[in-house]
Amino acid sequence: MSFVEDPACLSKSRLESDLVAHNVELPPAGSNKEAYVALHLRHVDQTNAADFSSDDDQEHNVAGEDPEGEKELDPSALTDEDLKALLFKYGVKAGPILASTRAVYEKKLRHLLQSAAEGELNEAENAVLYSDSDEEDVSEGNEDEEKESGSEGDQEKKSETLEPNQQQRKEKNAPPQKCDFSYPQCFVLSSRLRPCPPRNNEHSSKRNSKNALKSSERTRPHRSQIPAGISKVSSIAQHSGLRSGDPVKDILKDLLPDTKTSPTGIYATPRRPIKGAAQRPIQYAYPDTPVSPTIVERQDVARRLVPVYVQVLVFFALVCILLLIFVNVENTNSVVALLENVNQGPDGEEGIPVLDEAAGGDL
Amino acid sequence: MSSTSQKHKEFVAEPMGEKPVMALAGIGEVLGGKLEEKGFDKAYVVLGQFLVLKKDEELFRDWLKDTCGANAKQQRDCFGCLKEWCDAFL
Repeated sequence: MSFVEDPACLSKSRLESDLVAHNVELPPAGSNKEAYVALHLRHVDQTNAADFSSDDDQEHNVAGEDPEGEKELDPSALTDEDLKALLFKYGVKAGPILASTRAVYEKKLRHLLQSAAEGELNEAENAVLYSDSDEEDVSEGNEDEEKESGSEGDQEKKSETLEPNQQQRKEKNAPPQKCDFSYPQCFVLSSRLRPCPPRNNEHSSKRNSKNALKSSERTRPHRSQIPAGISKVSSIAQHSGLRSGDPVKDILKDLLPDTKTSPTGIYATPRRPIKGAAQRPIQYAYPDTPVSPTIVERQDVARRLVPVYVQVLVFFALVCILLLIFVNVENTNSVVALLENVNQGPDGEEGIPVLDEAAGGDL
Repeated sequence: MSSTSQKHKEFVAEPMGEKPVMALAGIGEVLGGKLEEKGFDKAYVVLGQFLVLKKDEELFRDWLKDTCGANAKQQRDCFGCLKEWCDAFL
């Protein structure tokens, strides 16, 4: 059972890429898909057939063969298991290779192969450029130096080529030993874990400015790979606290005698709490605070409220005066009788007919 | 942190059930039609593909691009939508 697809089922672009991968000349631009299929059948399928037979004495119509020739460079010609194995070799843990996922994994493998090929080209170029004495060690060391700045790199490979670089680095680090301040923030996840003898702290100065990671090795005289970057940072912070803490401490002690010593060397003074913020109600420590206009208004209104009683009294006084005036102006028996009637109450029945006559006479 | 669209929020809010593929964030009518042609007519089928690719972003985005021609933003939206749905319900 063959896992290779029938060329006629493949798309034209897919056929094109397959032909290119096999270094087969493409048919002219305007040609039909059938031309591609025919070429594909002729060249690619031959190599596939050769794959399934013995590996020796293969008939390749391919013009330029890959000098390495170790594996098939055409991912589409691989079986599912081979594809998966190849991807795993490049560090890609592939899931199930199904009909729907195969295309994606092939594409990924092509990318990986291309980048690997480019990587080899770069190495070859560097080998040519840097070929002095001791070609391999120096060239590899220089390559590693170049690569280190950009990528994190494989720690296992580079640990072997540390020897020549140690001497180079030591020369660089020897002269500058001025600044005692380190920069714990800028650490590079480098694989250059060198065994540094736990000497005085002065030598760490320049190294830290270059690569703060190395300062952690003073506590670890043997080569060990630190898996997490966090542990590196914490160890660096400790060292920076010890070294740079002393001058800082003296200054702070002068300014703020109450500072507590902190292991990290970071000193922070608490800020004054914000008044009026959550759970920090304003404390009225000043009773003679200036009064706002609204409060002034309220006081004015309050003052006006006081003479309300005066106003009421004045009102009643006016009413009494009016009544007196009315009584005086009228000055009739009827009004007097009314008043007497009111005073006497039910006893004064005789007053009523008198009242009636008076009222009727007047009107 | 980029903001999520309304479509994304609606999709992630509940189990997808039988929602059509166009309910996915980043998948509109055109892309949805192309996916349906390929057989991915429901959102759960695309979810299946997402899971088979082991929720890998690069692979899923490549697959989406190859299958329906989604651009980078659409790929990103769809991936984010499915990933968040999985985090919530799977």
